Amino acid sequence: MPVDDRSRVLVSTAWVAERLDDADDIRLVESDEDILLYETGHIPGAVKLDWTTDLQDETTRDFIDAARFEQLCAARGISNDTTLVFYGDKNNWWACYAFWVFRLFGHERCLVMDGGRRKWIDEGRPLTREKPQHPPGAYRVAAPQPGIRAFREDVLRRLAEGGAALVDVRSPGEFRGEVTHMPDYPQEGALRAGHIPGARSVPWSRAVAEDGTFKPREELEAIYLTEKGLRPDEEVIAYCRIGERSSHTWFVLTHLLGFERVRNYDGSWTEWGNLVGVPIEKGDEAPR
Amino acid sequence: MSKIDRLVELFQSVEPAVRLEVLLDYADRLPPLPPEYAPLRDAGLGMIHECQSPVFLMAQAEGGRLRIVADAPREAPTARGFTSLLIEAFDGAPPEAVVAAPPNLLHALGLAELIGMQRTRGLSGIYARLRAEAARHAGPTS
Repeated sequence: MPVDDRSRVLVSTAWVAERLDDADDIRLVESDEDILLYETGHIPGAVKLDWTTDLQDETTRDFIDAARFEQLCAARGISNDTTLVFYGDKNNWWACYAFWVFRLFGHERCLVMDGGRRKWIDEGRPLTREKPQHPPGAYRVAAPQPGIRAFREDVLRRLAEGGAALVDVRSPGEFRGEVTHMPDYPQEGALRAGHIPGARSVPWSRAVAEDGTFKPREELEAIYLTEKGLRPDEEVIAYCRIGERSSHTWFVLTHLLGFERVRNYDGSWTEWGNLVGVPIEKGDEAPR
Repeated sequence: MSKIDRLVELFQSVEPAVRLEVLLDYADRLPPLPPEYAPLRDAGLGMIHECQSPVFLMAQAEGGRLRIVADAPREAPTARGFTSLLIEAFDGAPPEAVVAAPPNLLHALGLAELIGMQRTRGLSGIYARLRAEAARHAGPTS
């Protein structure tokens, strides 16, 4: 693992601005919580990727299959060797989610624009409503990476056997079991409140600086390694409510801190908090 | 035919992608919040907590007609567009028109299938608030 993985996955708004004309090799991908935000204005040349209607299967609670993923890429002018730069609203939650899904399907060249849509706009950089026309890409899913995804069976097995650290990235109130959803998001509720036993509480937002960019490595180490005692060589499973904030933390641990085995449990609390018979803990983090 | 029925008919008659374009058009046209309501909004009154974005909506009855004021951030065009559509349909209408409108309006407009379940539930909160306020102002139903 390189000492500084950061420069290989994070690019600045200025870096993107200098490469707006390089549509042959680089594709900007905007992924937002709001399905119409892209249409109100996006970075010139950027394609839209909606986390619900594009990435998720509408019937089964799962992602689209490889065949549909290939179509989705081709339609956006994305080929296997295209460098993708993800950005979006809400501190890049959905950008990180899309990044993680593309890694899941084995796409190699994935980058995130640090600070996301907010920073681009705050800096007065250009937006357009013009839909880009890119020549179709040629895409084959070749080497999927299922190891970066965790299912409930994986979590149950780790609870029984040990060997993995669980990181709960939700708000403190959700972690302690005082509420079943984060403030303002009651439609993503669950029948039980609390956290997976033994999980450490690290709200996703602790990784983010005031201006929406990711904190520098030393500050991230102070939180995840020193304060929470996570080790880069141990297996870590991150979860939240529906898997988007935890893909943000998955990104931080994997790509900014060089952890080797991090998995995102995208079923997260909307699955665990509704499952019959699984153990739940309430209250503060258990002492280690 | 009521305004909302005409809107439902319009949304149903166009291609799905056009429905979203119409909604975006509504987002662009949300009337500005009258300044006298800004303090209420900023104090957190009239906020709809079912929605993922800070949406403010109040409905009062004046002479048997609803007066709806609302605000939604530009960063949340879907919520903003739906709020704007509700104002277009029901501002100046009798409260009974809201009560008589389809209870699952987002389905009736053909938007639910386009925006996904989570967003539909969020936006439903805005409509539920309007219906609750309208029901409070409406005359007794026979």
